[in-house]
Amino acid sequence: MVNLTIDGVPVSVPKGTLLVEAVKKIQQEIPVYCYHPKLGPAGLCRVCLVDIEGMPKLQIGCNTPVAEGMVVRTRGEKVDTGRAMVLELLLVNHPLDCPICDKGGECDLQDYAMAYARGTSDVADAKTSKPKGVDLGPTIVLDEERCVVCQRCVRFDELIVGDQQLVLKDRGHKDMIATATGEPYRHHFTGNVTELCPVGALTSKTYRFKSRPWDLTRTQTSCTQCSVGCRMNADVRGGTLLRTMSVESDDAISDGWLCDRGRYNIGYVDSPERITQPLYRKDGSFVQISWDDAFALWAKALHDAKSAPESVGVIGGGRLLNEEAYLLGTLMRAIGVRNIDWRAGVQRQATPGRFSGTLEQLESANVILVIGASPAETAPVLDLRIRKAVRHGGRRFDIDAQNETAALMAARDARSVALVWDGSDVALGARFHELLSGHASLSTFIAGEQGNARGAEALGLLPRDTSLDTAAMLDAARAGTMRVLNLFGVNPALNFSDPALVAEAMRATPFSVVTELFMTETAKQATLVLPVRSAFEKSGTIINATGELLPVEAALEAPVGVLSDLEVLIGLAQALDIALPTEEEVRRTVIAAAAQRSDDAFGDARYVWSQKQAVQAQRRHLFAGGGTSAHDVRIAALRPADSLAIPVGV
Amino acid sequence: MPVTKVLTAGIGECDLRDIAVYRQRGGYVQLHRALTTMKSTDVLDAAEKSGLRGRGGAGFPTGKKWSFLPGQIPTRYLVCNCDEAEPGTFKDHMLLEETPHLVLEGILLGAYGIGSHHAFIYIRGEFKRGYEIFMKAVADARAAGFIGKNVLGTGYDLELTVHRGAGAYICGEETGLLNSLEGKRGEPRLKPPFPAIAGLYGMPTVVNNVETLAYLVPILANGPEWFSAVGTERSKGYKIISISGHVQKPGNYEVPLGTPVRELIEIAGGLFPGRTLAAIQPGGGSSACIFPENLDDPYDYESLAKAGSMLGSGAFLVLDDRTDFVQAAYNMVRFFAHESCGQCTPCREGGHWLETVLHRFVQGRGLHSDLEMLHRVSGTITGLNLCALGDSIEPFLKSVLKRFPEQFEARIQTVAV
Repeated sequence: MVNLTIDGVPVSVPKGTLLVEAVKKIQQEIPVYCYHPKLGPAGLCRVCLVDIEGMPKLQIGCNTPVAEGMVVRTRGEKVDTGRAMVLELLLVNHPLDCPICDKGGECDLQDYAMAYARGTSDVADAKTSKPKGVDLGPTIVLDEERCVVCQRCVRFDELIVGDQQLVLKDRGHKDMIATATGEPYRHHFTGNVTELCPVGALTSKTYRFKSRPWDLTRTQTSCTQCSVGCRMNADVRGGTLLRTMSVESDDAISDGWLCDRGRYNIGYVDSPERITQPLYRKDGSFVQISWDDAFALWAKALHDAKSAPESVGVIGGGRLLNEEAYLLGTLMRAIGVRNIDWRAGVQRQATPGRFSGTLEQLESANVILVIGASPAETAPVLDLRIRKAVRHGGRRFDIDAQNETAALMAARDARSVALVWDGSDVALGARFHELLSGHASLSTFIAGEQGNARGAEALGLLPRDTSLDTAAMLDAARAGTMRVLNLFGVNPALNFSDPALVAEAMRATPFSVVTELFMTETAKQATLVLPVRSAFEKSGTIINATGELLPVEAALEAPVGVLSDLEVLIGLAQALDIALPTEEEVRRTVIAAAAQRSDDAFGDARYVWSQKQAVQAQRRHLFAGGGTSAHDVRIAALRPADSLAIPVGV
Repeated sequence: MPVTKVLTAGIGECDLRDIAVYRQRGGYVQLHRALTTMKSTDVLDAAEKSGLRGRGGAGFPTGKKWSFLPGQIPTRYLVCNCDEAEPGTFKDHMLLEETPHLVLEGILLGAYGIGSHHAFIYIRGEFKRGYEIFMKAVADARAAGFIGKNVLGTGYDLELTVHRGAGAYICGEETGLLNSLEGKRGEPRLKPPFPAIAGLYGMPTVVNNVETLAYLVPILANGPEWFSAVGTERSKGYKIISISGHVQKPGNYEVPLGTPVRELIEIAGGLFPGRTLAAIQPGGGSSACIFPENLDDPYDYESLAKAGSMLGSGAFLVLDDRTDFVQAAYNMVRFFAHESCGQCTPCREGGHWLETVLHRFVQGRGLHSDLEMLHRVSGTITGLNLCALGDSIEPFLKSVLKRFPEQFEARIQTVAV
């Protein structure tokens, strides 16, 4: 430990700590623009000046490590004069268009200028004119005049994403942020630069001119758009979800980042196309009915099938919260239903088994083997962890599903190996798993695209023994032996490998229920469509890809007439006159389920898709955002072209 | 007259570009002697004992700079900085064009002195003629066995890479130069780490000026004591001074350090008839002015620092009573504002702001409030910057603003707009 004095207060911090971090120990702050804890010092903005005894010149706090006996002043005339000068200079050419700037109210330039700068200006000349409203790409708009050239965005691309698209071009006071090639700025993580930008230079297209930060109500929740479960702030104004922001302190899950899918695929929640009343198919077309009637019809259908519970199937669960998944399983099993399977898309497995790893293990892995998967597409922020591992000296191998030799060679001398695949081909996962199981420190990850698939597995939404899985249920339905199909938050007509089978199965089933936000391809073929809440409109928990139990908090009121899947299940239970477990029982079960790590997750490899089927399905569902993005026109621009989608295992 | 001929010996008398002529005059003897009879550390000791200080501008003791290299890392690089771009400096490209083998021998000695097997020279893009002359010298030296594998049969490998810049002042800053050499934007790096620890391609690196390295040859030939016997207490040896401005015979003059300022003007032919001295910028565009009261000061590092200026690269600009100091200050500030890389705030914004305001003064459109701003800003931005460029913007302006306030006041707009 190194002992020093900051503003008269003795501080003890580990060797190598930078002053900018050391001052946080005494609840002080050194203003910064270019420095960022995740990007390190750059020494560009020069606003973090401190006065160190024995040094004639002011020093920058961001690149000065602590030293034994150092005496540091973060205020005082010398510091204040230097800092005020830097701020005055930053404002010389700043447009001061705060009244129309999205950043106004949460802008570091505003805040520090108010705290440390002179209140007056000596500028008598016209300000430098630079391009405003520059369309950088599908997501970001750039205002060059507001830029303070801290290069956080440039360094984010370089250090964190590893895809150097943004660069500084030109020189001196004419310098500007641009893409190196002049092509649109696009990768999976562009939105983060709007949060890194300390001023209003980089703004999100989806949020521009929408709100003031002080008008927003913030709720911390977890993202449910893939299996990573990034902690996330949902900002709501007047009942409208306007933006989602990362949680900077979330080192455990998101590492402080969000992907563009998680950040920008939010407009669907207030889409006018959302269904808000139960719909019942009568004489070939849908009519609106009351919830009471819906529960009565549904309960009757289930009651009629009571003598033959094998003719009832339940598909879905990956989009449900843990509590809902548990109630679904409990309720259905209470009436004898055994055909239950959460898997309606390409993903076949969510729990990686006895070598299940933590994100810290992934980050510090020596060798990362990505087997026939594209984590950047299915679980983007997990891919950032892999890139972090690479930055720390780890080596990444994207290995062809057939190439076991390459995997063995890559892993041979590694101290720690992380195996990443997408859970779609269970046999593949099992094969590589066995292949590498002799390795001393193997950790396995499933970069799945379903938000709570692992929760659904942990809470038992899988077929047992001789009961039917999704494909078998659909086959049986097509053959006319299914009487009731219950689909919860799934859209197999879009995501399942064989859409024709889904259509035929739905048509041949006398009574099918779909809980949905929208009239999806699947819902259109159902008997009863029940409008349910989105993940922003309900509270509960999920279990992410690495087994963490994460809270989901309601940030929004649901549209009138819309229930959560939980309320739907309670309504059905009442109509069936079945007692459900108490809230406390549900809570305890969920916690226990999250705590257990399944040792035999490779039990179910009953059918394996052909490569071609898998590729087709994958192409369709990438960026589908759980079936919601189709209803958000703003997300369209983010969908990769077909040629960009990396096919699975090819 | 104290003009001496050390590095400049033979220039104008014979064709030193011819390797045969250079060798006839004792060229490459020191390289041969060093490689065959001296250890690397002997060369370092000689550099240290001679008191040689960096001739590029910062004046850092050369031997000390070399000694910062960590001993345990065998891969290390010597980089010769030939990006001479300081306004008023024209000594390095003269050496390059007139006595390329001396420059080359100095580089090879320096590389051997730090135990490097790969030296680089970064030549300013505009020095096309010097580059061509130097390339021929390199080819001749390689043919003679001075460069490459197993130099002169000693078993010592020494490769040289010649790189041409693309014309940016900032690439003369040593870390900006290293970035440019690596193919990146010519932007100074954040220090620490210093180049001696992590320089070119992340390896320990020494960056030395052309003139500094060239002096290694006579220092080895005559012994470090010969060099340290000349000059003042902390400014040893000789220096090529690029004298320009209002003198009758501007040019490069090699003199012992400590020569009085007055004599330097006389060496360069004196002022034009009927003129009186107004100011001297003694150390390149980055330096503050000294004035007639400093005429008897010795021209060395410590005296100029005491006078509020610096010796810098040894560019000596004489300004007589005809000088328009508003225009001159504008020219200086405009240069640095134009050359600012734009990375850090004070240099990027401060330089441009001062330039804009001074431009108005040049046009006779100054404001009273501008004067206060010029004093305040020029008095504050130095010391806040990432590299020395930002600290170079204001010294000339500040010194003449204080000395000739009437010239600035005369440019204040009097007619109401």
